[in-house]
Amino acid sequence: MAVSALPARDAPLATSTRTVSRRRAVRRFKLTLLLPLIGLFLFLLTPVLLLQLYFSVHQWTVYLSSWWDADYVCLDLFRDVLTDPRFGWAVVRSLAFATGSTIGCFVFGFLLAYLMYKPFHGQAIYYVIFILPMLTVPVVVAYTAEMLLYQNGPINDVISILLGVDFKPSWLTNPHIALFTVACLEVWNWTPFSFIIMLAGLSAIPKEPIEAAEILGASKWRIFWEVQVPLLRPVILLALVLRFLEAMAEFPKTWALFQGGPGSATETLPVYIFMTTWQYFEISKGAAMSYIVMLLMIVIVLVAIQLLRREKRSLDAMYEQGAKETEA
Amino acid sequence: MGKFDISRRGFVQGGLGLTMANFVPGTTPFAQAATMEESTIAAAKAAGPAGVNGMIWSPYLVPMQPVIAEFQKQTGIGIGAVQDISIFDAPQRAMAEALSRSPQFDFIHIDSNMIPSLVSAGYLEPLDEYIKKANFKFEAVGDYGSFMTYGGHTYGVPTDGNVHIQYLRKDLVENPDNKKRFADKFGKELKFPETWEENLRLQEFLMDPSKDLYGSGNLRNRANGVTWWYMIFYSAGGFPFDDDMKPTLDTPAGQYAVDIYLQDKKVNHPEAANWGTPQMIPRIAQGHVVSCQYWDGTAKLNENPEKSKTTGKWLYGLVPGSDFSGKRMYRSISSPLAAILINKYSPRKAQAAYLALWLGSGKNSIPIVTDPVNTFNDAWSTEHMSSPLVKKAYSPEGVKAIETNFKVVAPPIYLTGYLEFQDALGKNLSEAYVGQLPAKDVLKKTEQEWAGIIKRIGQSKLKKDLASYKAVMPKRDTPA
Repeated sequence: MAVSALPARDAPLATSTRTVSRRRAVRRFKLTLLLPLIGLFLFLLTPVLLLQLYFSVHQWTVYLSSWWDADYVCLDLFRDVLTDPRFGWAVVRSLAFATGSTIGCFVFGFLLAYLMYKPFHGQAIYYVIFILPMLTVPVVVAYTAEMLLYQNGPINDVISILLGVDFKPSWLTNPHIALFTVACLEVWNWTPFSFIIMLAGLSAIPKEPIEAAEILGASKWRIFWEVQVPLLRPVILLALVLRFLEAMAEFPKTWALFQGGPGSATETLPVYIFMTTWQYFEISKGAAMSYIVMLLMIVIVLVAIQLLRREKRSLDAMYEQGAKETEA
Repeated sequence: MGKFDISRRGFVQGGLGLTMANFVPGTTPFAQAATMEESTIAAAKAAGPAGVNGMIWSPYLVPMQPVIAEFQKQTGIGIGAVQDISIFDAPQRAMAEALSRSPQFDFIHIDSNMIPSLVSAGYLEPLDEYIKKANFKFEAVGDYGSFMTYGGHTYGVPTDGNVHIQYLRKDLVENPDNKKRFADKFGKELKFPETWEENLRLQEFLMDPSKDLYGSGNLRNRANGVTWWYMIFYSAGGFPFDDDMKPTLDTPAGQYAVDIYLQDKKVNHPEAANWGTPQMIPRIAQGHVVSCQYWDGTAKLNENPEKSKTTGKWLYGLVPGSDFSGKRMYRSISSPLAAILINKYSPRKAQAAYLALWLGSGKNSIPIVTDPVNTFNDAWSTEHMSSPLVKKAYSPEGVKAIETNFKVVAPPIYLTGYLEFQDALGKNLSEAYVGQLPAKDVLKKTEQEWAGIIKRIGQSKLKKDLASYKAVMPKRDTPA
């Protein structure tokens, strides 16, 4: 082999040169793969962002002039948006909706994944059943739910029979629970997403730590909390972040069921932005709103990335320490 | 052979006959110029054959298809590609088309109250020239034809009257037991209501929630509820702006309308706050409603025994009025008033315009407004009012009610920015209906929001629009 043919004193130098050259090759390969994607991304996204930026600093009244004749208003529209109480409430509603539905999706998704990660007879059928809601078009979910959720509808009837009481909440007309109704539908629709991620995470956990804990006599509950959950933390975080971001943008079900009503109970950020832009035709204000929401989402994503990195580092450290202890 | 078919021989013979008749003294009336439909065909032929593309909701298009097929046979102008978009989503899509100056659609089928906004956005083609060439006349009942005009030009052809009429359960009102109980309780006769107050009292008296029978079938959801509010407001003598385009909602007439509007809560279904037509129309037809003001097409559904449990059980008439202004005033409403509008940027605008005029002739539109399954296109023409087919579809009483209400029909906000104004009001009314906003704040808050809209669109521009808005308001207080 070439390495053994080298004189002993030259070997470290050669290894170092080779490492450097290999790193460069890897970097080149990465760039070769990434550059076209970055180029395409910039090509598609930059004009949109620039146009949006233009609109957000120009007051364009669609009935009076063409967009290139719009008046420059500097940051006035951003100030308008940030002082608009309706926008503030839309942010609150969206955050509440996204937080609630994300937790719901995660809890049910994790539960299903935990039941499913060990092979058993007929497992494939359950996979299909559990994934089906995610394959249902959100608007269809909304219209179907509308038929089921009337005060005298089948859902309330079934719950009444099960509980033995007259259970008649107005899921679709009570402004205090309308957002909760959409959150429940979101949970039903997107639990499979969390299920798939958590199933992948659970299946990837090495068996050794669990077997070691079992040999040491740990209970199932303790193994779950002290072995599986810590090992799953990066996956859990990923599932939560992705679902949260997706839930912040939920529009079809909310619009199909409520169009922001009853009253303004379901006027979330996507609904309010849509209404501002395409119901009130305030394209400029809508653009400013979208920018603010985009910044909010960027902050959330950056925090999430930091947390993910930290989780990965601590997990790597844990594995490293485990390996050292095994070696010792 | 379709009922519109005219053979070449027949056409030539007819033409020769009419020409000869012209020379016979005293027979001039029999030798008149071509009919409106024939003139439309002639003008369309001159424009040349084409397949026109449009945006239209399929329930509206389906009953039009045989009439369009006949036009195509005679002129070579037919439908090309169609985008099936709900009339409730069409305004947003149309505005997007307007802003991009897209020639994609040759025509759009949309709520005609969008005319001011779409004209201001530069999208609509005036139809005056085509109307002149086709010798077309709007045979609309009352002042209804003026709803298609804005700034002195005509921009649309109606296909759907969509006027609100009063519905009242005949079997309940004429029940002797109910009559006696009502007379005993109120010292008055139980009869068709003439005012909003009478209507509410009657609804409250006849409703029986234990039998799933509610007093009202009016809509109170965020998107549609506001349509009912206009009727009450206008009938109380209110008008939403003064001559200087300052909002005049927060007035005694406005507060009266809010009060009547919200009182519906005690007689309507508990879930009405989020119900639209898909929920309410079946309830009306299946007998769960005592009375309501509703779009006239529902009469057609009610009177269809295959789809309704209440055939023959309805009284139809004029919507309630109000004495609030010191004199009795009635105001019905037509919204959304579905009409065909033509895209200014279309390369086939002439063909699209003539197709619209063909569909808008009273005679041609009879099969469209009488379709028993796709009941979206409702009667509106004077010719419809005397047609036996229309009377059969809506019942003679239904047709009479439609005609009566058309005489006092008003539009919603007929200004540039219609959707913006309407949604602000609709949202606040809806908030009050579900208890999120005190009733007394509804109009104050709406006026503040409207002031922002007026500032953005421009007071001077809207002041010009105001003339068109006032021009389409009914000229009489009562239909008589």
